[in-house]
Amino acid sequence: MLFTSITFVIFFCLFFLLYWFIFNRGLKLQNLLLLVGNYLFYAWWDWRFLSLLIASSILNYFLGISIYNSKQEKRRSFLLWIGLLQGLGTLLFFKYFNFFVKSIAAAFIAFNIKLDIYTLNIILPLGISFYTFRTLSYLLDIKHGKIKPSTDWVVFFCYVSFFPCVISGPIDRPKTLIPQLEKLRTFNYAQATDALRQILWGLFKKIVIADNCAAFTNDIFEHYQTLPASSLLFGAFLSLIQVYADFSGYSDIAIGLSNLIGFKITRNFDTPFFARNIADFWRRWHISLTSWLTDYVFTPLTIYFRDLEKTGLILAILINFTAIGIWHGANWTFILFGFLNGCYYIPLILRGTLNKKKKIATDRLLPELPALLNMAGTFILIMFTFILFRADSLAQAFDYYHRLFSHSLFMAPVIIEKVNTAATLVCILIMFAAEWLQRDKQHALQIDFIKNFPARAIIYYGLILIILTFTATRNSDFIYFKF
Amino acid sequence: MKGTVKFIFKTLLFVLPVLLIFEVLFRLGYSPIITNSTLFDLKVIRLQKQHNKHLKVISIGSSVSLYELNSNIIVHNLHVPYYNFASWGLQISDMRVLLNCFVNDYHPRYVIIGSSIGDFISPSNDTYLNYVNTNTFIRNEFPEIFYFKNYSSIHQIIRRKHTAFPVQFDSWGGALLTIKAKDINRDKWNEHGIFPTQYTADQYRELDSLGAWLNTQHVKLIFAQAPIKASYANTAVSRQILQRHFDQCQSIIEKHGGTYLNYYNPAIFTDSLFFDQYHLQAAGGVVFTRLLVSDLKKIIK
Repeated sequence: MLFTSITFVIFFCLFFLLYWFIFNRGLKLQNLLLLVGNYLFYAWWDWRFLSLLIASSILNYFLGISIYNSKQEKRRSFLLWIGLLQGLGTLLFFKYFNFFVKSIAAAFIAFNIKLDIYTLNIILPLGISFYTFRTLSYLLDIKHGKIKPSTDWVVFFCYVSFFPCVISGPIDRPKTLIPQLEKLRTFNYAQATDALRQILWGLFKKIVIADNCAAFTNDIFEHYQTLPASSLLFGAFLSLIQVYADFSGYSDIAIGLSNLIGFKITRNFDTPFFARNIADFWRRWHISLTSWLTDYVFTPLTIYFRDLEKTGLILAILINFTAIGIWHGANWTFILFGFLNGCYYIPLILRGTLNKKKKIATDRLLPELPALLNMAGTFILIMFTFILFRADSLAQAFDYYHRLFSHSLFMAPVIIEKVNTAATLVCILIMFAAEWLQRDKQHALQIDFIKNFPARAIIYYGLILIILTFTATRNSDFIYFKF
Repeated sequence: MKGTVKFIFKTLLFVLPVLLIFEVLFRLGYSPIITNSTLFDLKVIRLQKQHNKHLKVISIGSSVSLYELNSNIIVHNLHVPYYNFASWGLQISDMRVLLNCFVNDYHPRYVIIGSSIGDFISPSNDTYLNYVNTNTFIRNEFPEIFYFKNYSSIHQIIRRKHTAFPVQFDSWGGALLTIKAKDINRDKWNEHGIFPTQYTADQYRELDSLGAWLNTQHVKLIFAQAPIKASYANTAVSRQILQRHFDQCQSIIEKHGGTYLNYYNPAIFTDSLFFDQYHLQAAGGVVFTRLLVSDLKKIIK
């Protein structure tokens, strides 16, 4: 049930009507319907893994209460470890088992020892990385006294399986979502209309920009050995735009859907391409993941390495970013992607400018030249790391880099579908322009400040017409589903 | 509650013009993309507008059935409600899938497959499932739904209409292939397609399943082997391959109570009647249909 499918539209319309007209009489009723909706949505993908989601919810629910009620610190730590082992163990098994086995075997081959390796045909349960991180933060926050455990099992189960976010985030923290689940939601007209705008913007990014870019990048990465370097550069550019439009489009839809049923959830992207350095970029990209790792990995590491001063900070950053890479998938390309992004931080740490936040001026129509150059530089650095993100293997990525830096970089790129390419580039420009102009807003289509209704309607219908006219030939899955 | 109702009402009001765009497209003849076969999509949309409820005889097949079964001759000689569902490139497995819904929708008593070896050479086309797996009522009364099911952009819809190979259907779904000698592509004329292929055995199995299923539905299957150009079987090996194919089809069809008719006859169907190795020109189609009709008269009651 993709958010962009007719099945989901029917599901959500029915859910919306039941939620606001029949099950709105009490909190219990509202939450019960939400839980049924969550499980129906999840089971639609693969009902076999619903049991895993439920089992994980049951265990973490009781662990949360036990940790809170325990007086002894040792027992609290022990219970937390059970939760961590269950969450990370399940994640490691489903996501990384084959990768570890193959990597170990490859390492032994380097010493001329051939292992008889045994891998399993494991299907990755959808959204496992996302809901595992939710349960982990729940237990960690209870252990550290930041929150109290939920005593209503329906509330907790809804928190773990909240359908707008269960498959690809944002990874909401318990202190954001659980209090909202403990209060009866009432319909807010302004919030709902803004939700529709955000969904519309998300659809534009996903089905027009991301899906059209996907067609080009698939083609370029498949035939990169026969194309000039200029085409490879174009492919790298489109590949980064695709990931952004796909994931931020998904996040916009997820946030919009949550708003429609009365929830306010974490923002996941904050115009990352206007970041002026790498630290700024990662503060704006996949915010819910980076802030999660900052709180639960990076901050403890900086405390642990504090005696090493700058070296300690560099170590903490490198470990944190390698973790971000590993989180994305069981492939050396992701690990190197994370590590390389961590390396980009080293000059900032050495210069002592890591925490200097450069605010984007909101009162200017165009950025100043130095700011623009910083943005372009950051974009290019990130674009090169996303070749690793997109490549199937390290060998392919290195070959791609090798071919990219050749004299054919100055040749005209090979473009087969000229009309489609031009249309996609125009849509990318529209996205950049809208996000720049609306950079101080929650999303680019937050245009309720335009009081003239016909003017707003022209913008909405214009965007709808672009979506209807230039939707990509093939609707692809959201990229982050596989994480 | 008031706020929710207002929200729903305003949203519906806002969505209405968007739906109207598609209704306008539909009325202007920019049909939705249902499958990856332009011709099939055109045909089913056209059929929907004709509001046929009951057909006694239907025919199905690939381009051979489409071009070579002359609807006028069939209808004026058999005097029965008839429609030709043939479409370019249909394989036996596709016919099996499509007949499943055509038989349920139109309750025919006879199904004619005008076949050639080209119906046994490729894998199934899964895009037909988009049509078949749609609710019958929606499929027949509200085909606009296909604009939204597996959405295709307006850009694609318009481009498809303007780049499609033009076909003039007659009132019963058939079409005539009238290409002047000077326009016939010499390469196409001499092309000797590969047969059998890796898919041929699967297609025989599908024919077997189709025959058995039609039998359970009390629908008589009439399998008409269409003429093939003499030069196709100019070696002993190709003659042997053809004969094996004929025998295989005959045994499958007759096993399930169907009728097997073979019109492979180079003496009657001379080279001048063909467009390429397998397709007859309109004049050849007339000869073929007349022969077929004279046999059908003995079968169809």
